[in-house]
Amino acid sequence: MIRKTDDIIIRTVARILVPFIQIYALYVIMHGHYSPGGGFQGGVILGASIILLLITHGLVETTKKISERAIAIFSSIGVFIYAGIGVLCLLLYGNFLDYSKLSVILNVTPAEARSMGILGVEIGVSFTVMAIMISIFISISTTEDHSKYDKEHY
Amino acid sequence: MEVTLLIEAMDSSFRLLEDAKNQAVDIMNSAVRLTSETRIIEEKKLANIFKGAQSRRAVLQNVMATFVILFGFWVVLSGKFDLFHLTLGFICSLVISMLTHNLLFANVRVGDIKLTIIRFVRYLPWLIYQIFVSNFYVAYLVLSPKMPINPQIIRFKTKLESDISWVVLANSITLTPGTITMDIKDGEFYVHALAKKVADDLNAGEMEDRVAHIFMEADHIYVQDVLDVSPIFGVLRKGI
Repeated sequence: MIRKTDDIIIRTVARILVPFIQIYALYVIMHGHYSPGGGFQGGVILGASIILLLITHGLVETTKKISERAIAIFSSIGVFIYAGIGVLCLLLYGNFLDYSKLSVILNVTPAEARSMGILGVEIGVSFTVMAIMISIFISISTTEDHSKYDKEHY
Repeated sequence: MEVTLLIEAMDSSFRLLEDAKNQAVDIMNSAVRLTSETRIIEEKKLANIFKGAQSRRAVLQNVMATFVILFGFWVVLSGKFDLFHLTLGFICSLVISMLTHNLLFANVRVGDIKLTIIRFVRYLPWLIYQIFVSNFYVAYLVLSPKMPINPQIIRFKTKLESDISWVVLANSITLTPGTITMDIKDGEFYVHALAKKVADDLNAGEMEDRVAHIFMEADHIYVQDVLDVSPIFGVLRKGI
């Protein structure tokens, strides 16, 4: 059961750190194609920032920011982006995820199109990983009845 | 014949009087409605000044400040200054500052952020000097053969008001060698101190005073509050 911590220091420091953790996660995602990192790692950091918020601020306050419905939608959007880019390459007479064929659409050289395509796929992967991380955490920590919890806290 | 004429004349005069009375009532009613409407509008204006416009301005200010800080952080991390990466950084920081505008700067008054940040940066050299001094004192305590330590837990009620100032004070105490903040409960600090002198330094309250100065709390004047009140006062004076 997740509820607000009583410790004001932990709560406040977590609140201040969350935006920085998130921008770091996006940095890891966006620079994944020529430095360590990538979609999965960035997605895990992004999920961890939300989980930190869940641990310190409780379920009710966090679901005001990102509802469980939005988490479910995000997890499917990520897969859709990944598969969509792959199928787009198929439609342009290439192989599945053959990014160089995207140069026709993006109007750049094939090498740049590869870089952009990998970036798109990584964004998709990070969405799904983030959403699944959060939903696993929520499912494990709220095994009891939800409605009873909501009545007790707010 | 005359009687019927008389009755008709009286009837018509009564009808005229009734019409006049109805008209007067209508006018009075509409006048009342108008004044109540204007009063509602004035009240709405006041309420807007009090909270609506204020909160919108606060959100805008929080988003702007968060965006600037996050974009700086991005540039430091990325280290690439071509247009593509800067655009990516712009979009990412904008999205995150929209999503988390009430996390980094929760309950800061409108217009105070810049002054708070400047004062916080000015507070850091003093803190580093304090850490330096008490490092030497703790080294003296440890290295002297008699080891004159006197461990104690002191409890004091703070005059600070918001959570962020409590946390800044608590972390400053913990960073200074010889003292550790154990807990904060309802504005009461529980601090473990290594020696009498360290505890006395803490009880003198200079650190607390400086933190109160950063966040404009306790007996330090709220400049922004005076500026906020002035338009409300203008509206009230016009009403009188």
